[in-house]
Amino acid sequence: MRDAQTQPNADTRTPESRSTEFVAVTGGGETSSAEVLLTSAYALMWIATFVFIFLTWKKQNQIAARLGELDQKLRAAQPKA
Amino acid sequence: MNTRRHLLFSVTLGAAALALVAHILLIFLATPMAQPQAGGLAQKIFYFHVPAAYAMYLCGAACFFGSAAYLASPSEGKNAVARGGAEAAVLFGVMMLISGMLWAKKAWGVYWVWDPRLTTLLLSVVIYIAVVVLRAFTGDGDAERKFAAAFGVLGTVNLPIIHYAVQKWGGNHPTVIGKGGGGLAPAMSRTLGFGFIAMTLVAIVLLWLRTRLALQVASLARVEEEVLALDPTDEDAAE
Repeated sequence: MRDAQTQPNADTRTPESRSTEFVAVTGGGETSSAEVLLTSAYALMWIATFVFIFLTWKKQNQIAARLGELDQKLRAAQPKA
Repeated sequence: MNTRRHLLFSVTLGAAALALVAHILLIFLATPMAQPQAGGLAQKIFYFHVPAAYAMYLCGAACFFGSAAYLASPSEGKNAVARGGAEAAVLFGVMMLISGMLWAKKAWGVYWVWDPRLTTLLLSVVIYIAVVVLRAFTGDGDAERKFAAAFGVLGTVNLPIIHYAVQKWGGNHPTVIGKGGGGLAPAMSRTLGFGFIAMTLVAIVLLWLRTRLALQVASLARVEEEVLALDPTDEDAAE
């Protein structure tokens, strides 16, 4: 149905008309869907936020582990000093 | 004191999560669709796009005050606020750019135009990215911190220019709210207002997290120095 609306009659098209005129159509398909764009925008925003939070959490865990390790070394070194 | 701070953080985090869920429900269940020229269904991106821009301004302001205060009298706390502010500003800047580009594709037919507001905004995000990259790759000495703080001040000085660019130089970017704007339908205004509250809470949580992380990084460096002073042969601490 949409093809019949968007495609001009094949019999009336000539090689010249294809390059020299634009044909008005009704019900032509859109190049970008609002649903897809809306979903992509929300998905990408939330992915960015969760990646940010995950990286923060990961870095905090690394620091906590390293601080614990160094704390043990400090405790072990104190009797010597 | 720590327990009270932890409780306050937990309450803010919970409030932010609830506000975000309520905001999404408001957008899709209680807010009407806009006219096709504004993007129709894609206009619903607006309810996160504008609050994300506002959150970037908030984090940029935190970066500015932290940076300026650090330049005036350096301290770990001020450096941590400047660092956390720049990092959170990058996140909100990226959110705003992504959402704006996808909305523009529907409303304008293209992802990007070199409009004054878009260009000044991109410049600000690039400056904040420069601050984050500079801090990540050039060490944590006083000179590097001061250089990053100067960049942080510069990035925030650009924020008022972004805000007034559309009024001074025109361009494609719409002015719906504020001076010269045509306004929003009441239901749309309510949702946008709620979005500002939700995004403020998210910005506070992320700023808090990143500032605390920056303080922990500084504490780690200090402890590593102490260990190295006690045992100069410790290769782990010397790294």
